[in-house]
Amino acid sequence: MTVVETSGLTKRYGSGVLAVDSVEMSVRRGEVYGFLGPNGAGKTTTLRMLVGLIRPTSGTATVVGHGPGDPAGLAKIGALVEAPGFYPYLSGRQNLKVVADFASINHKRVEEVLDIVELTSRAGRKFGTYSTGMKQRLGVAAALLKDPELLILDEPTSGLDPQGMAEMRKLIKDIGQGNRTVLLSSHLLPEVEQICDRVGVIRGGRLVTQSTVQELLGEEGVLVTAQPADRAFELLTSMFGVAAVSRQNGSIRLRTDPAGSLEINSRLMAAGIGVSELRPIERSLEEAFFQLTGEKQGS
Amino acid sequence: MIASIKAEWRKNRFRPAFLVSAGLIAGIVVLFYSAEWYQATHPGGPRGLVSILTLYPDQFVNNVMGAGFPLGAAMALVLGALIAGSEYSWGTLKTVFTQRPGRLSTLAGRVVVFQTWMGIMTLIIFAVGAAYSVVIASVQGQSISWPAPFDIVKGIAAIWLVLAVNGSLGMALGVLFRQSAAALGVGLIYVTVLQIIVVQFIESFNGGSYKWITNWFDGQNATALLNSFTSPAFGHSTPPAIGAEQAVLTLAAYLAFFIVASAALLRQRDVT
Repeated sequence: MTVVETSGLTKRYGSGVLAVDSVEMSVRRGEVYGFLGPNGAGKTTTLRMLVGLIRPTSGTATVVGHGPGDPAGLAKIGALVEAPGFYPYLSGRQNLKVVADFASINHKRVEEVLDIVELTSRAGRKFGTYSTGMKQRLGVAAALLKDPELLILDEPTSGLDPQGMAEMRKLIKDIGQGNRTVLLSSHLLPEVEQICDRVGVIRGGRLVTQSTVQELLGEEGVLVTAQPADRAFELLTSMFGVAAVSRQNGSIRLRTDPAGSLEINSRLMAAGIGVSELRPIERSLEEAFFQLTGEKQGS
Repeated sequence: MIASIKAEWRKNRFRPAFLVSAGLIAGIVVLFYSAEWYQATHPGGPRGLVSILTLYPDQFVNNVMGAGFPLGAAMALVLGALIAGSEYSWGTLKTVFTQRPGRLSTLAGRVVVFQTWMGIMTLIIFAVGAAYSVVIASVQGQSISWPAPFDIVKGIAAIWLVLAVNGSLGMALGVLFRQSAAALGVGLIYVTVLQIIVVQFIESFNGGSYKWITNWFDGQNATALLNSFTSPAFGHSTPPAIGAEQAVLTLAAYLAFFIVASAALLRQRDVT
């Protein structure tokens, strides 16, 4: 069952800038969905449309069974879009009580969410004095107040130090347990690889792919470098079939489960073929991302 | 809407700008009364003779009307611009709009709480004016008598209306500019300078044949309404060109227009 479904979702600003172009996104119940893209790709604009902060130029979206911005739908959504926005002269706790009042939530829940994000001891301090990490935690706490079916987090680790990022990722993983759906936007690939079940990659306002992380990383394989190469190629072709074996820069690429590497090595050795390299082929999410977005790695 | 009112009250009751403005308006009334008292007991100053009779409790309603415009109005405008504009600069509007209430319900809650605060400021003006007038009467050895309760209620309603209109103008400008600073600048220039210059220009243009236009400016109506509270103790005064009833209706129309304009802008525009 889908929690978020968009069809041809488009946002064009008055200046003519096409920020989001015909996005077809589908987020399933209970999954942690990574919305991946470089800065300025259209992630935040898409999320703002999903929660009704901005209106699409064309296309439709259904979020937890309602139109974007519908109060009945917003009651089931917790959102942290871009930087957390709170009143600087109020404490963290008072800010959450204000949000709870707007959402018609009992104030008991405020203490619960403060506990979840481990901010109870500093909840009495004014928001204006909070560090970036504390502000982000308070933003997540506010998003959790409604015990939402769908949690939308836009770059939640933005501006955090490595320790803070690790803690936030653990927190998101914990929050994403069970039946709750998490839609996480990020431009940090390791973050998405660690946390998410499925990803959608957006580039220049267009959703270029949507799949599981495994699918995006590509099929499993093994790379073999052996001498004499021709004999090794023949042997491996006889073992796995023509379609599964190919040459790659002086090595042989096999489409097979890397768990069978020991068997491959034994057969080659038994045939008198010297093996200098035998390793699983792993494409990182980073490689996949740069391939999909057409951006240059390390640029 | 009840949820919005509750939330808006919670966030604004300790807001420094509101607390400072409450103290400031009380201070202005004290300063105003002190200066008048000094002038009444030390004749010959630049403003001429101020009758001590205007400073006694029976005249306090007429006397505090001076705090309503332009000082009170300017303070109300500042607060209105702050309450609306800071929601954009703090990014709190998106936090609020992603909660349960709709945009108009959120605005309705804000308007109710803001206008309640304008009422509190009005009551502060009256309470401080009444208290100071009692002090003056006691020091001067006068007996204390009060205006009719209906006159007090009318006076409170008049000042509240002036503050409400200017506060709503500030809110509308805050929503229009999506920030406080520009709203404050434009609003204060309009209330304290621009409107006066335009009114003077229209009054002098073509021998004053378009003077009737100036009767529709909010500042002119606010002044006329507040000046309608007078008595023989204040000496001879020329009757205002705008009647109190017309001033009330015109100001009520301005109030409605500013609130509707804020609602239309808030409902239609993207929150970026």
